[in-house]
Amino acid sequence: MAAEQTELTLATIADATPATVADVLGAPVTRVEALSGGASSATYAVDAVRGDGTLWPLILQCAATGSVAEGGLPRADQARLQQIAFAAGLPVAEVVRVLAPADGLGEGFVMARLPGEALASRWLKLPDYAPARAALTGQCAAVLAKLHQLPMAAAAGLALPAGSTVELLDRMFANYRRFGVESPVFDLAFAWLRERVTDRPASHIVHGDFRSGNFLVTPAGLTAVLDWELAHLGDSHEDLGWLCCNSWRFGVWQNPVGGFGQRDELYAAYEAAGGGPVDRDRAALWEVWGTLKWGMACLQLGDDHVSGRLRSVERAAIGRRVSEVELDLMHMLKFGSV
Amino acid sequence: MAEQIEAVTLIEAVAGFLADVQGQLSGRQAFHAKVAQNALAIVARELAQAPQATERSLLAGLMGQDGDLDALRAGLCADLRAGTKGAKTDGLIDALLAAALTKCAVDNPRYATFQRLQT
Repeated sequence: MAAEQTELTLATIADATPATVADVLGAPVTRVEALSGGASSATYAVDAVRGDGTLWPLILQCAATGSVAEGGLPRADQARLQQIAFAAGLPVAEVVRVLAPADGLGEGFVMARLPGEALASRWLKLPDYAPARAALTGQCAAVLAKLHQLPMAAAAGLALPAGSTVELLDRMFANYRRFGVESPVFDLAFAWLRERVTDRPASHIVHGDFRSGNFLVTPAGLTAVLDWELAHLGDSHEDLGWLCCNSWRFGVWQNPVGGFGQRDELYAAYEAAGGGPVDRDRAALWEVWGTLKWGMACLQLGDDHVSGRLRSVERAAIGRRVSEVELDLMHMLKFGSV
Repeated sequence: MAEQIEAVTLIEAVAGFLADVQGQLSGRQAFHAKVAQNALAIVARELAQAPQATERSLLAGLMGQDGDLDALRAGLCADLRAGTKGAKTDGLIDALLAAALTKCAVDNPRYATFQRLQT
């Protein structure tokens, strides 16, 4: 309980202004606009000016010092990993600056602002994006294949969480029990996974949140993979399974790959791009796992409200999305990953 | 009618009020007003459909004993954790699928998997 008590007051961040961001960048800044965020973290669009007078479009992401969730990646390490991915030729925004304590903006970094639509509900439906939807399965396969070919040593020195599959499952179960919620569906899913999970040591750098909602997409296709906050060392198949969870299909359940593609095409393209052989049963297992993991996130968000840590009608309402997760899990346990 | 103003009437009145003020709100507050309207719709469906009574009866059948919903849930969870019940237990998958459908009908009947299972 002591840990929960200390969470009751979240640290807050100072608002970023053109002057403060100009100091960070060492370049003039003409515009800073909050895109999203609350008291403890925020994302800003920044228009800076390069030495030659041209527009320098950037994104600033920052969070209150110490606000990174348990098991999450410190922002500076997130920035470093993103830079490693960029150097390896993956489609990610190049990191321009990592914030230092003296900058007074908390923990975070500044990166290039790339073109593209981030709202999956838009690019999954608008007619203009049809070519993107046709290209995305292959592009996602290529990105994952490239990421999974990086040796774990490439991330040496970064505080990437790691664990064998059984350790991760035990951790997730302990997290579930922490909420004091009794869900027969969740307990059944844990038992189902425990029967089937082979204990594998961490073998790959895993993005950890590779899904439709974390892509920047233009009508031509994928421009960037966002949000490396949940990256860790684990099983490559986790990324393949997570991408196919029904929660990220935005209603287009007929296209299991993120609402835009088919598993066969994803796996074939992943293998062709050098990602290694895909074990279909293992990928299906990670779909169940991923769905359950999203259920844990819903419980956490609901708990934010119930515990008083962050009272909000939005958090309370998200808690009821547990029903969607329970239904998806039962659908998979009854009919398989179809 | 037991009351002139039933709980459902109050919900509709508050939803109407939220719809009225929504036009004057912007950004986060406008978004939260929309979420609040959805939350009220959940409450209205829960009152109308009584999902907990359905789930209680499903779990009582599964456990072979009566009890309140919290106790039945806790008992079933304990059995699942102990391994004395599981996916192979007769009727368990179907009962939990039915319970999940009942809850999703209240919380989000537009959810794709719910719609998918209606056909």
